[in-house]
Formats: sequence, structure tokens, C-alpha cells
Amino acid sequence: MKSIAIAGSCLLVLFLLVLGCNKSTDTPVTPTPSTTATTGGSTTTTTGVASSCTGVTGLAKVVCLAEAFKATLTSTQVATLQVAYSKTDATKWSNLPDGLYNGRIGIKLSALSAAQLTAFYGLMGAVLAQGTTNEGLDELEGNLVADDYLGANGGGSTYSRGNYHLAFIGTPSTTGLWEIQFGGHHYTVANTYNGGKITGVTPSFRAVEPATAVTANSRTYQPMEQERLAFAAMLTALSSAEQATAKTTSSFNDVLLGPGKDGQFPATRVGIKVGDLTAAKKALVLDAIKLYVNDLDAETAATVLAKYTAELDNTYIAYSGNAGITAQNDYARIDGPSVWIEFSYQGGIVVRNTPHPHSVWRDRTSDYGGN
Amino acid sequence: MAAIDSGTAKKRLLRIRWATRLLATLLIISFTLAVNRLSAHPMPNSVVLLRVHADRIEADVQIPLGELQSAFGHAVNDSSAGLINRLGPQLRAYLQQHIRAERSDGRPWHVVVAALSVQETQNALNGVYRELVAEVRLVPPTGADVRRFTFRYDAVVHQVVTHSVLVSVKQDWAGGVLPEAVPANVGIIALDIPSNTIRPLIIDLKTGSVWTGFRTMVNFGMRHIAEGTDHLLFLLVLLLPAPLRVNQKQRWGPFGGIRYSLIRLLRIVTAFTLGHSLTLLAGALNWVRLPGQPVEILIAVSILVSALHAVRPLFAGQGAVGREGWIAAGFGLVHGLAFANTLTNLQLDAGPMALSILGFNVGIELMQLFIITLVFPGLILLSRTPAYRVIRLAGAMLAAIAAVAWVFERVSGEANWVTMWLITYAPEIPSATVPCVS
Repeated sequence: MKSIAIAGSCLLVLFLLVLGCNKSTDTPVTPTPSTTATTGGSTTTTTGVASSCTGVTGLAKVVCLAEAFKATLTSTQVATLQVAYSKTDATKWSNLPDGLYNGRIGIKLSALSAAQLTAFYGLMGAVLAQGTTNEGLDELEGNLVADDYLGANGGGSTYSRGNYHLAFIGTPSTTGLWEIQFGGHHYTVANTYNGGKITGVTPSFRAVEPATAVTANSRTYQPMEQERLAFAAMLTALSSAEQATAKTTSSFNDVLLGPGKDGQFPATRVGIKVGDLTAAKKALVLDAIKLYVNDLDAETAATVLAKYTAELDNTYIAYSGNAGITAQNDYARIDGPSVWIEFSYQGGIVVRNTPHPHSVWRDRTSDYGGN
Repeated sequence: MAAIDSGTAKKRLLRIRWATRLLATLLIISFTLAVNRLSAHPMPNSVVLLRVHADRIEADVQIPLGELQSAFGHAVNDSSAGLINRLGPQLRAYLQQHIRAERSDGRPWHVVVAALSVQETQNALNGVYRELVAEVRLVPPTGADVRRFTFRYDAVVHQVVTHSVLVSVKQDWAGGVLPEAVPANVGIIALDIPSNTIRPLIIDLKTGSVWTGFRTMVNFGMRHIAEGTDHLLFLLVLLLPAPLRVNQKQRWGPFGGIRYSLIRLLRIVTAFTLGHSLTLLAGALNWVRLPGQPVEILIAVSILVSALHAVRPLFAGQGAVGREGWIAAGFGLVHGLAFANTLTNLQLDAGPMALSILGFNVGIELMQLFIITLVFPGLILLSRTPAYRVIRLAGAMLAAIAAVAWVFERVSGEANWVTMWLITYAPEIPSATVPCVS
């Protein structure tokens, strides 16, 4: 008779074989960092810090409000929010929700207290235009409202505003290189600053599902409808001969230069040259461009718009499908010496069989601030 | 906002766990996810899966109907019912026009579009959608290397410029790739945006060999046993009473001695091996053909029978021990049919198939031997202790529960919680046991 110890170890071996050695199987897949909701201990100062930014303008104001936002965060939250500048981190954006693209950096809105959110909106209010329905800051809000709608109507928890990230890539300053990146499903704004100036306002992504109006806060939001109508107005104003020149034979089920397609602008521009159009038709092209550029604060928008206006005659517009942008796979493009805007009306994802818009604004020379 | 998210955190964790379990079994879904990460694209892409044979390539081409509709022009997605009957010739002509292959010197391969079908599939973003599946045969000109060619494929992409085509090797016997692994990506065909052209994909597979193919099959055989919980359980449970004698009351009695135990072990294992080798050969060479489902049910039944046998000798009299060899051989025949189904699924040519049968069987035997070496000394030692009765009965009981659960699953076609549990934990056995023991 052998010792019980031997018998015991053999029993263990048998048991392991029959049941498997479970020690490695119990490791769960690490979920996205859980939402450690912080109670706003230092939040009473928010209004004070933010209001101290009222006297300053331009980049100084953005930096002031960025610092005010940081002041409301714990040191752990700041470490999540801010990373050293790198182009690699700057390219980490997507049109997909977090559940399908988990590369986003920065802090999630779900991790912010009410007071911290107030500081967040204060900051975004300096980066984006305020006071225009469905444009600028209101367009951002409309996108969050739509994503909440998707989350509550069959999309699941990967949709909804808590999944959007704010990141400072580089330390906000009025001298150094840094980028403010805010994004999530269907939305990205990315402003790059360097040497005390704004050096890039793209890549910038705008989209929404559902395309129809969503009601929240006792009003309706339809953040991309004005853009769709602007492209339709721009294209339907063309004569049939002009439309024939502008229309491409290719089909598009999405934008061409979405996330990950950095620095891949076509060598040859397609469509019709805006310089060949009447002044009224040129104005319609500029109207469409304005719905992107004027999302930014007035000062920045004016600078960018001046450049795009100067280059307007050498800009091309093209489309695919219907000029009215009414059906799935309808597509419009503005391609200039600098500006690149695509608008794609594409198949529904959460809301089936109903098209929804995707749209990307890039700049041939200043995406990521030229970095 | 914070409350909403922390409230769902646990649910999400559970959901992620479930997702992980499903992924473990549904390789194809995880593959689709990988595809989505690659393209970060809301619309499903096309997939070309290459099966590389010695003299030709069989390609499974999968094209989402919604995308095909934009390029092909007919309302294929709007009314996909009876699509092949309605538009078969046009679809064949379209594919023939957009799928080409050629040697590096430009000499064309022969391309044949064979069977067409429509199937439902899904990915994480788009949910369920329908796709056209085409079996396309690519044959190089005489003397040309099947492993190196220029793939000129532009179906859908020629028109829908935002579409992409993921090309992978699903099976390559001589290169050591078997279809049960996640297909190896060899490239993506998509519009090169700056030049506005679709570049052909240069395919250059690493040199294969008969030895690589054979060795892969040995590994495959070993894994098949190590991961095939049902085969493993059958063998283990059959061995549980092997060191014991049958007593006067026709129950399992005391330890019968080392020599006695080894003889019985040898008899059981040899009988099982003879049985499954016979049907593996016959099945893989298509001499015998049985549908998968009854075979799988019979395997579950075989575990139940061997569990009952571990509780009490199944046949009265001293002959029980002798007949145990016949049980092992008989059920060996059944298990062999399942092994054979695994091989016939590879659709190999005669030469590779013969080597595969040999390699696969060698792998099976090696893994059996490994497990027996690991377990049997323990059984011999334990069977001398009074505790062995409890171990034997508990083992038999657990095996019986698993067997019954499998019978239900294989008859009904629906998983139950026992089989789900087994799927999750059982494949960990080989990888986990080896480091645990050593």
C-alpha cells in the first residue's frame, strides 16, 4: 500500500485530466476599463476657474479651459486624459463604436461627474461654434443624443454618450505641440496646435444614425441633415451637362478616406471644376464647405474659410448616385487644393433598411497639423 | 451618465464572457471580426478562401449580396430567393470576367466558376446578411507552380471602390495549413486610392513539402484526441475499472495486480485502436460513408456504456472482462468513422489523403499513449486504496452526465448548459495538463 500522499497526488492528476486544469480558463477577458465614477470633490471651483478664462481669447482661451477641465479631474483621470504627443495616437480615431474599435485613447464621458462634464462642455464650447442649431457644439450634442437613441433602441451598451472619449495628445499650451481629440461612434473633432497657433482642424468625422430627427431635451436634433441638403442643393443646381461631368462612374458604400486612410489623397481630382461654374453655383459649394468649417470657433473658422474660398476655383466637386442625395450609396465629394470633404449616404446599421450619412473632412496639407 | 455605465459594467462582463465562449467554437465569426478590424468599414467585405492542392487551387468566394448588387446591376439582394436559378449564367459570366489568375510571365491560368449558392452569414457590425458563395477552380498552365501567381480579382471592387476583398489560405496541405485553423491572411484587394487603380495581388506561398503535410497531420491527430473531449472521456472511463477483478457478486472487486492490469490495458487499447483504424481507413477512402450525426450520437452512447461498465461489469460472469475488448473494438469502429469524417472534410487528392490517414492515425496513437502513460500508473496506485471505489463511481457518474448531455445535444441539434460548459473548459485540457503535471 502506497502512502496517501502519492494516492492524493495521483487523484489530482486524474482530476486534472478529467476536468481540465482550470487555472488559466478563469481569467476573464478584460473589459473596457470600468467606469470609476468619481464624485466631484474639487468640483466647486469649476465655475471659478472657467470664468477666469472669460477675459482671454483664441488659443489662450482653449488652453485656459483645458487646464480648468484638468483641474476638476483626479490625477488618475488626468493620466488617462493626457498622453505625450505622437502621430500614432493622433491617428487613433474611428467611425465605429467602442465595441468594434477599442483603440481610442483619452477619458470616457461616462467617467466624468456632472461638474466635470460642465467643464468639458466649457472647453468644447471654446473649440466649437455655439448658438447655431445642429452645427458646432449643438451638432456634437445632437450626435450624442442620436447615439443614446441607438443605445436605447437595439444598439446595446456600446452605443450612447458615455462611450465618447476626450484626449489631450500633448500638454495643452500656447507654445508647444498638442492636439485636442474628441470622438466616438460617428464623430471626431481633432484640432492640432503648435507654436501658439492652430495648425490643423482635421481629420474631422461627422455622421449620424438615425438620419431622422431624434427628440431630447424637449427639442429635436438632426445634426447631419443640413449638410445633406447643402450637398443636394449644390449638385441639383448643376445643369445636366455639368452633372454629367461631375458624376463618377464608381459607386461608394462609404467615404473613401475614412479612419486609417491617412495621406492617401487621389493624385488626380475627379468631377467638375468649381472655377467653371457660375457665381451662384460656386456659392452653393462654399455653403456646403461652411457647414463643416463653421462648426469651429468663429476665429478659427474665418481663417480656414478664407483659405478654402481663395482655392475655390481650383476645387472639384463630384458625385455618385442621385444628385439629390436621397438614397443609399448616394455620394458627394469636394476636393480642392486643400479641402477634402466626402458625404456618403449609406445602408443602416442599427436602424435597418434606412440610409444614414457618413462624412469626413480632411485637408490635403494640414491633417494632424501637417505632422 | 456615469451611473448608466457602471450599472451595465457587470452585464457587459458577462456578455463578454459569453462572447468569448462562442468565439472559441465559432472560428468563422472571430475571423469575420478580424476582417472588420482590418477594414474598419461598416459594410461587409468579400472573402476569398484558397484551398491549395498539388495541381490546382479551389477558391471559396463569398460576396455580400448588398455589395454585389451595386456592382452587378441586377436586384440580387432585393430578391435573393431563387437567385441562382434566375441569374446563374449571368453571375457565372460576371465572376469569370472578374476573377483571373496568371503566371508571373503573364500566361493565364484556367479559371472555372463551379457551384454557386446563397448563404446567410453575419458579422459583429452588420448582423445577419446574405452572400453569394462561388466555388472557383484555378488551374495553372502545365508546369507552372501552383503556389506562385498573380491574382487579378476585382469583382465588386471594380465598381464599388470602397469595397475590399480579403484573401486567405484556408487549406494548404503541403504548406501545413488545415481548414480548422483561422485562415492565414495573404492580402487585401482594394482600390489604391492615390493612383485610383486596383492592383493585382501577388500570391507567393512558402514552399510546401510532403513532409510538412505529413507532420501537420500527425499534429492534427494528436490535437484531435487532446481536444476531442468525447474520445478522451471514452478511453479514460473505459480504463477506470481496468486494474480491478470481477468478484463473486459480479461486481468490481479488488485490485488484480500489475500484470493483470497491464494485460487488460493492452487488450482494451489494442482493440480500440484496431477498431478505429479500420473505419478511419475505410471512411477516409470513401468505402464506408455514414452521415455525421448518427456517428456523433453513437459516440456519446459509447461513453454512456463505458461509464455504466465502470460502475458494474456489463456482462455477467467472468467473461465480462473478455468482452470488454469487443466493446472497445466495436466503439473503436464508431470513433474511427468520426475521425474519417474529419479527413474527408479536407477533400484531399489520393496521395495526400493516404499520407494523411497514416499521419492522422499516428498522431491519434501518440496522444493516446501519452494520456495512458500519464493516467494509468495513477489508476494502478489508486485502485489499491479503498478510496478508489468513490473515484471510480464519481468518474463514471460525471462521464455519464456528459454523455447524456451530448446525446441530447446531438439529437436535438441544440447546445445545453453541460455541453456549453464542456466546450468552454474541455479544450483547455491538453494545454493546461501538460504544464500542470510537469
